[in-house]
Amino acid sequence: MNNYHFGRGRARLAPYLLLLPGFFFYLVIMLGPSIATGVYSFTDASGIQGTTLHWIGLENYREFLFLGQASIDNYGALFRTLVFSFFVTTIQFSLGLGLALLVNQRLKGINVFRTIFFMPVILGAVIQGLIWSLFLYPLGGPLASILGMFGMRSEFLGGQPNEAIAWVIFVQIWANLGVTMMIFIAGLQTIPEDLYEGAQIDGASRWQVFRNITWPMLTPSVNTNLLLNIIGSLQAWQLFLVLIGYRNGTQVLGYLIFAQGFGQASGSVTSAFRQGYAAAASIVLFCLVLGIGLPVQYFLQRREKRVLG
Amino acid sequence: MFKRSSVFLGLVLALATLLAACGSSTSTPAAPAADATAAPAAAPAAEKVTLKVLVHQNPPMVEFMNTFNEQFQAKHPNITVDMAVVNASDLSTVTQTRLTANDVDVVDMFGFSNAAQPYMKNVTPPNWQTLIDAGLLMDISDQPFIKNYDEAAIKDAGSYNGKVYQINLGRVSYSGIYYNKDLFAANNVAVPTTWSELVAACATFKAANIPCMTAGGKDGWPIFVGAYGLIGAEYPDQSKLVEGLWTGSITWNDAKSLDMWAKMKTYAQDMMEQGASGIAGDAAPGRFASGAVAMFPGGTWYASAIDAAQPSFKWGYIPFPGSDNADDNKYLFGKYDQGWAVAAKTANKDAAMQYLSDFSDPANYQAFANAVGFIPTQPGATLSSPIGTEVAPYLANFRVGYEQYWVAPKGAGEFANPFASYYKPFGTFDEPQAVADKVQADLQSGLDANK
Repeated sequence: MNNYHFGRGRARLAPYLLLLPGFFFYLVIMLGPSIATGVYSFTDASGIQGTTLHWIGLENYREFLFLGQASIDNYGALFRTLVFSFFVTTIQFSLGLGLALLVNQRLKGINVFRTIFFMPVILGAVIQGLIWSLFLYPLGGPLASILGMFGMRSEFLGGQPNEAIAWVIFVQIWANLGVTMMIFIAGLQTIPEDLYEGAQIDGASRWQVFRNITWPMLTPSVNTNLLLNIIGSLQAWQLFLVLIGYRNGTQVLGYLIFAQGFGQASGSVTSAFRQGYAAAASIVLFCLVLGIGLPVQYFLQRREKRVLG
Repeated sequence: MFKRSSVFLGLVLALATLLAACGSSTSTPAAPAADATAAPAAAPAAEKVTLKVLVHQNPPMVEFMNTFNEQFQAKHPNITVDMAVVNASDLSTVTQTRLTANDVDVVDMFGFSNAAQPYMKNVTPPNWQTLIDAGLLMDISDQPFIKNYDEAAIKDAGSYNGKVYQINLGRVSYSGIYYNKDLFAANNVAVPTTWSELVAACATFKAANIPCMTAGGKDGWPIFVGAYGLIGAEYPDQSKLVEGLWTGSITWNDAKSLDMWAKMKTYAQDMMEQGASGIAGDAAPGRFASGAVAMFPGGTWYASAIDAAQPSFKWGYIPFPGSDNADDNKYLFGKYDQGWAVAAKTANKDAAMQYLSDFSDPANYQAFANAVGFIPTQPGATLSSPIGTEVAPYLANFRVGYEQYWVAPKGAGEFANPFASYYKPFGTFDEPQAVADKVQADLQSGLDANK
């Protein structure tokens, strides 16, 4: 007996036809440009229509990975990308979980706090950058005034590279914490209440409840958040552009790609567009995301099967 | 039955979505075309034209252009000017995008610079050159208004392969310092003409608890732009400097350059006010005009913004005194600034040429130069603005600056440029020798990689 959901005959084509619009958009918006980026990475494309494209083989990759001090600087950007991703992922994940546990309680007015914590997410990177540029304004800005009370001062975002990056990490976490929190809240609300009631009857402590019920049952949310945080932070670039701009010792790979592709690398308004080179850098970033993302996903899926069956 | 109906409904919806998506992508660009075709049918005698113009953000220039556009439209009622303003740092990106999309008629371009020289190996051509090679800019060599401009300006800032693609509207100096006349008088400080006098002046102001210099460091380049005077004091011929760096006859860590790096340390750490890295580029003139700071190293284009921020504020402008020999400090270094170019594919060529022709009218150009403060590129124009008066004594010594010639070799490190912002508190360096060695090593790495 055929129980095919959409019926028989030509009706069996229905699911494929229904998938067509989505596939069309995926092809046009995601897959097409991704393939084009791969192709462009083997050319000297400037991104200007009408220029002759030359096939230069692996030259862009050779330049990015092996040519002179610039390639060493690129490795520096790659290292900063990893450091940025590590701090953003670990802190955002931990804080998001903590906040979700806090605001998941049945208290009067708790939705106000949820809204406050989520609010930065709805602001664009430009607004987020503007808010923190003003807050961190070194000549009489709020934080500078507080530091001034203790006889201290700082250039904040315009200061030494490590300090500037630390501030971008902070803003990145502030800007995206709401999403992490909401995913955890969604996960917390799917945990059956009777599990907690049973644990209460058995006299479990708060820590035991968290360790043996909440944490394992949150596994799908943990997996989602970890992957989103890792991939999102590896690809970050907008806040670097808005908060710091192109400064030596502060670039991450995502921003390096933008700067090379759109002539902002030297800070000069007359710079050349190097979109073939930027495409090669994009493929390197893609490999990095894939190299980290796939093993993490494999590990998380195995853990999920082990924990939830 | 219900199942089949829902499948059918789903299919219809899916196809409708697909068609709507395809339809929407074609209907948007079609709208202006419909307008354009409708207009001639209604008024065939005077074709209605919308002229799309792109300019970069420079408040006095934008203000002038708004007035000019109104007058132009009144004179040519069939032409509507649609002017878009973008930040200077986004100009090349937006120009490229809109030229490629055939969505602009007249574009504002900086004077042609950074062209590859015969001694440069394996460098990427500058963006303007790529645009011309791609056939996106119109050859305007035969236009009569070209003759209104200096031959040198047309040749140096607007020509490529013997053809003219841009009329350049003015030169700007960026190696000077604005100074607060009232603060100088109140503290009995004479206008410095040598490096030692500048150091002494800053010491006096610091002792009086007055920050010596400010800059719009948040935008990056303004923190070091004034210090181009320090490079100029050591290397007055900056095209020769660039050639020397490429060929190895000059290095950033030789004795002459070390003197420059030592002065840059003083500039970054003792002269520039702390916190300058947080000031946005367009807020810096206001900070200076507030009277809180004694000096403001920066370009001549800031003059109008200073006056607009505080009309009664008294300021002067001098070349950056980077040497202890006053004769070495008589040069103003700068660049060719804004110019007009026309999209090669424009459907509104006549209107675009009329726009440039009206703009190039000597009376209009004089008003433009007065409003914006550019050093004129029309021979008949005079410098009647306050900044014009200030720079007039140095005009014979105007030179195109280092960054207009410099093209970094591929493979050069990120420090292969002479910027004062490498020093603490803006960067990580503290010692001139360490900076000099790092900058030269980063440059040499690129030169060696291309051998």
